Amino acid sequence: MEIIGTLDVSDLAVAVFFIGLYGAMTQRNMVKTIMSIGIMDLAAITFLMLANYAPGARPPIEGAAERMTDPVSQALMITAIVIGVSVTAMCLAMFMRIAYRYGTGEWDILIRRKED
Amino acid sequence: MPTLPIPPLHLIVLLPVTVAAFGFFLPRRLFHIVLLVTHAVMVVSAVAVFAEVRWGSQLVEVVAGWPDGIGIRLVADRYSAPMLLLATTFAAATFLFSTRASYMDNTFLFVFMLIETGILGTFLSADVFNVYVLFELMMLAISILIMYKRDQQSVYDAMLYLMMNFIGMAFMLLGIGYLYRTTGVLDFWLLQERLAELSDPRAVVIPYALIMTAVAMKSALFPLFGWLPRAHGAPSAPSIVSAILSGVQVKVGVYLLVRLQWTFMPAIDASGFFAVLGFVTATVGFLLAIAQKDIKLILAYHTVSQVGLIVMGLHGGSDLAFWGGMYHMINHAFFKGLLFLTAGIIIEEYGVRSYDKIRGVLRRMPAVGVAALAGVLGITGAPFFNGSISKYFIQEGLQGNLWELAIYVVNLGTLLSFVKYSTILFGRPEIGEAKQEQPAERPSRDPFVNGISLIIGAVCFAGGIFGGPAVALVFGPEYTATGAYSAEKIVAFLVMLVLAVAAYFGLVRRVDGVLAAVRRHKFSFNQVTVFLTGFFLALLAYGYVTV
Repeated sequence: MEIIGTLDVSDLAVAVFFIGLYGAMTQRNMVKTIMSIGIMDLAAITFLMLANYAPGARPPIEGAAERMTDPVSQALMITAIVIGVSVTAMCLAMFMRIAYRYGTGEWDILIRRKED
Repeated sequence: MPTLPIPPLHLIVLLPVTVAAFGFFLPRRLFHIVLLVTHAVMVVSAVAVFAEVRWGSQLVEVVAGWPDGIGIRLVADRYSAPMLLLATTFAAATFLFSTRASYMDNTFLFVFMLIETGILGTFLSADVFNVYVLFELMMLAISILIMYKRDQQSVYDAMLYLMMNFIGMAFMLLGIGYLYRTTGVLDFWLLQERLAELSDPRAVVIPYALIMTAVAMKSALFPLFGWLPRAHGAPSAPSIVSAILSGVQVKVGVYLLVRLQWTFMPAIDASGFFAVLGFVTATVGFLLAIAQKDIKLILAYHTVSQVGLIVMGLHGGSDLAFWGGMYHMINHAFFKGLLFLTAGIIIEEYGVRSYDKIRGVLRRMPAVGVAALAGVLGITGAPFFNGSISKYFIQEGLQGNLWELAIYVVNLGTLLSFVKYSTILFGRPEIGEAKQEQPAERPSRDPFVNGISLIIGAVCFAGGIFGGPAVALVFGPEYTATGAYSAEKIVAFLVMLVLAVAAYFGLVRRVDGVLAAVRRHKFSFNQVTVFLTGFFLALLAYGYVTV
């Protein structure tokens, strides 16, 4: 099992991303699918945060140090986090309206009820 | 010629959203006037930028004065400047078209301007992450507009749209992460340089597949187009939303598909993959369009088909077909925008959406009817209309192989679905339930509606008559389009028209049961996600096989 030793946190983030994708493909409950996509989004953000990471590097906030983490990816990810939160909030708000109207939180049942 | 002062590119992008944010608090009438001025300013600045790029040099601007490579770059070059001009003029025209409509309140206009910002920004942006942010912005704004009239069906459509696109965007974000880790830059041109220096091009196959999956979803390629009819044909969205989405917003995806393909060119080239996919998209698009009954859905599925044709042209591998594809993007904006605008007015006038309940538009609303007819002639590629020129270029560019046959198939399908659509124009208008209560308020009497529809219709015609010079003026390369007016082309069109009419009345109307089944079948969200994953895996496999 040598391969396990070579894995790092980025690979874990990729694994989490595909777990989220699996959830989006298989879960029939709408809230669970929203959660799955949220997980995918956060995994992608984690991955980008860890790009170019070196052990022992400190955040580039003030002063000088031998090793700084990459500020670009951190700056970008603040934007991505804000976007992710707002889109998830929007999805949940829409879910509320649909759940009130049709009385269900399942995709399949919803499609059937919409046809009636 | 007199030179206009060239505005900074970031101002063009920021102007609509800034004005909308402050104007939001103004009274409605005043807000309209402010937006009218804003649109005029934007069109003039776009003309200035276009003129400079076309006859001068391309414009590059790094936002906020950062050094190159650190800041976000905005670029207006010979590909993005015409698109900028198209987007601003188109937005101004649609705004004028509906100045008197009842839904134009402050909230609507704010969200509308937000989409405009997103479109302009994406065309000018030369940074992958910037594109990501603007995509997300447009996605949120569009999902608000889809459910604007707040009926319950549309909330479902909007939610499905939002969630499908959210997954696509998550793919893109992970792709950006991979790309940044491999190359350390996100700028298109710097990426291109770094990718050329890569020792192992296979390292970028994964980010390529991730990002292109998201962009293919945005440009509604098969099998990822499920969101498009929901967004563009949404019953609750006003027709100008449909027009701007189909006319310009979907082109953003197509444009980026090409731009990113060039960026990745040193490492990986999937043009063949996309060209074939374009054909499949075009075919499936018109087949589904034939099955629809709702006139807005016919048009929406037809957008899918035309996007397929454009992608075929752009990725076909010849210069002529490429410029044909670019010209078709502009033409499609005009005729499809026109068709959506008129369809909205027709639905308002008749009070029904089903094509078999609407008859005699030409008699009841002559101006709108004539404009819609011009749109139909344009989109079917009738001789002397703009669609014929761009389709001719695409066909000539792809000549000598199976592609030509493919184009004929797509053309025939287009004709077939528009024979179905055109049945609403002819015949005798029946006295529907939605008979005019207050004749003065009827939308078909609105001078803005009639004027703008006829002007866009005239543009469709002018784009055909001056096809070759128009391409030379807008893009630069000189091609003669005289072949498009030749007798054999006209005869070929007439033969196809007869075939399509015969096929429609002889075949399509007899298989109503099949069509109804197609119409009713809906894919659930889980299935759509499976399609997305499948597309990603296919692209990944293609990348690993060819690189």
